[in-house]
Amino acid sequence: MAEDKKEKPLLEVEGLKQYFKINKRHTIKAVEDVSFAIYPGETFALVGESGSGKSTIARSIIRLYKPTAGTIRFLDMDISSRISRRENHLLCTQMQMIFQNPTASLNPRKRIETSIGEGLDIHHSDWSKNRRREKIMEMLIKVGLSSEHAACYPYQLSGGQRQRAGIARAMILQPKLILADECISALDVSIQAQIVNVMKAIQQETQTAYLFIAHDLSMVNYISDRIGVLHRGHLLETGTTKELFSHPIHPYTKSLLSAIPTLNPAEGKKRMSVSYDYSTSGINYDEGEYRLVGGSHMVKCTENEFKRWC
Amino acid sequence: MDRICSKEKKASIAVYVPAESDFVLKNSLVTAWPGDAGEAVLEGCFPAQSVWAEVGKRLIRKRSAVLGLLLIVLLCLMAVFGPEMNRYTYSEQNLNRKNLAPGVQILEKTRIINEEETPEIKYWFGSDGFGRDIWTRTWVGTRISLMIALSAAMINMVIGISYGMISGYFGGRTDMLMQRFLEIVHGIPRLVVITLLLLVMRPGMMTIILALVLTEWMGMSRVVRAEVLRVKEQEFILASRTLGAGSIRIMVREILPNSLGPILTQVMLSVPAAIFAEAFLSFAGLGIPAPQCSLGSLIFDGFNCFTLYPYQIIPPAAVMVMLMLGFYLTADALREVLSLKR
Repeated sequence: MAEDKKEKPLLEVEGLKQYFKINKRHTIKAVEDVSFAIYPGETFALVGESGSGKSTIARSIIRLYKPTAGTIRFLDMDISSRISRRENHLLCTQMQMIFQNPTASLNPRKRIETSIGEGLDIHHSDWSKNRRREKIMEMLIKVGLSSEHAACYPYQLSGGQRQRAGIARAMILQPKLILADECISALDVSIQAQIVNVMKAIQQETQTAYLFIAHDLSMVNYISDRIGVLHRGHLLETGTTKELFSHPIHPYTKSLLSAIPTLNPAEGKKRMSVSYDYSTSGINYDEGEYRLVGGSHMVKCTENEFKRWC
Repeated sequence: MDRICSKEKKASIAVYVPAESDFVLKNSLVTAWPGDAGEAVLEGCFPAQSVWAEVGKRLIRKRSAVLGLLLIVLLCLMAVFGPEMNRYTYSEQNLNRKNLAPGVQILEKTRIINEEETPEIKYWFGSDGFGRDIWTRTWVGTRISLMIALSAAMINMVIGISYGMISGYFGGRTDMLMQRFLEIVHGIPRLVVITLLLLVMRPGMMTIILALVLTEWMGMSRVVRAEVLRVKEQEFILASRTLGAGSIRIMVREILPNSLGPILTQVMLSVPAAIFAEAFLSFAGLGIPAPQCSLGSLIFDGFNCFTLYPYQIIPPAAVMVMLMLGFYLTADALREVLSLKR
């Protein structure tokens, strides 16, 4: 990881704010001043409870929302404001998304082949039929489907197979960054492992970076190189998986980690979950600043809190 | 397999040790290919049936749909070939032979109609007040009614789909403006529009089609808009957009195929509605000018002499009933078939 740090980051998010105006009086602050970077070939995981802004960040990055403030830089271009057609083309081919619900993310009226090949049809319309077909077959095999599945409709596949098709669709343009928005939460546990292993295998082959959004911490521990902990739209703590799991600083992170069930039932009985309530904890996220703990481990807090926790 | 065996041995109970033969599929539905020496082959390649092929199959299985489609096909065939089946044309008058009763051989034998009254020249459905053959006129009327209804429905479909699609897809201010415009147009009574149209245009088929289009496209556009609003929030649209698909591509390739069911049903329903509207206009005297005729104008003619010659109203009315029944039955079955969840 140390060498990777010297590389230029693939994606840089700086001071991202995403507010949604409901009406004149109410504004929802979904994401509040979040900064992080993703380096080529690594897996960065965003964890946090429901409503903490994980998906919103992904959607801001993929330009579905216009950021309220802050910049998002991808491959040295600013993608948080208006971009040109050429930049948009580059963005579509270099950044892709895997969706949460494999059933809803495939068009029910299209064969798998058509769904997977859509990226090719848009960006490589000059390819010959044979070349297109070969590429699709190659992708199908890569994600663990067989070439017979190309002619199927989504309803003929199982949930795991559908998610594999979703991965194939995202991967076919060979993007440098893939946003995996809770891509395994809708699957059952054995299938989750298969899908994550497929993603890992592809990463080793193509050096794709992942922004992995999840709330299953054991899965995050398994797949990710670095982790960011989100709560109420604030990025509270970032660091490598090792740093964060062995030495959590922020009380919220501690509470999250204490909630992981253990395999050994004897140890499981001893496990104490640390409760955490923002309103009674006396911590004000807005006052916090990023402070370096060591290595790449950062925590968002005030100076007093920092002294108390470390 | 080894793992299972060792586990069972550890349990130190006299357990059944599975033999190799236990793992060969027995009596399974999975067929072994001949020559494979009993090796089981899982069905790896299953044919993927296209969605529309399956819809067609289900439709054929429904009795009401088959009846409806048969009625439509039969009446369409009669509309094409019916007028050529005897030697009269729809406008040929013969004042010596007006208001003749239907002259069918079988009817004469039953003595329902006095034999002396029936001349040597037979009109199958009788003749009207100008001595014109009602058989020919009925089928010519069916032809014109169908042409008006089908073309109005098609034009409605095109306008409705484009309008609803744009309004629903872009949303926001575009949607607001388009919907307010639609409401204003909707507020003008149809009869007013048509009478005004007939003031500036010559009465005829084109005028009626235009009148029907002007007043009927809104229903279609509403259906389409509702469908677009339903489909466009789904994740596969998002996936398409992240792949860089443009708005037109998303509308045509992603949204349209997913909303075709309700659209098709609405088209099927709009045909009988157009037939009925045309008949209503003809009945009100705003329809096809004489000597041309439509089902509506024929019914109107029959209605005028209903007390004296009641048989004159029966053929056009019966054809219209069957035509509308056919379309309604088909539309109903289509809606049921298309709305089935997998």
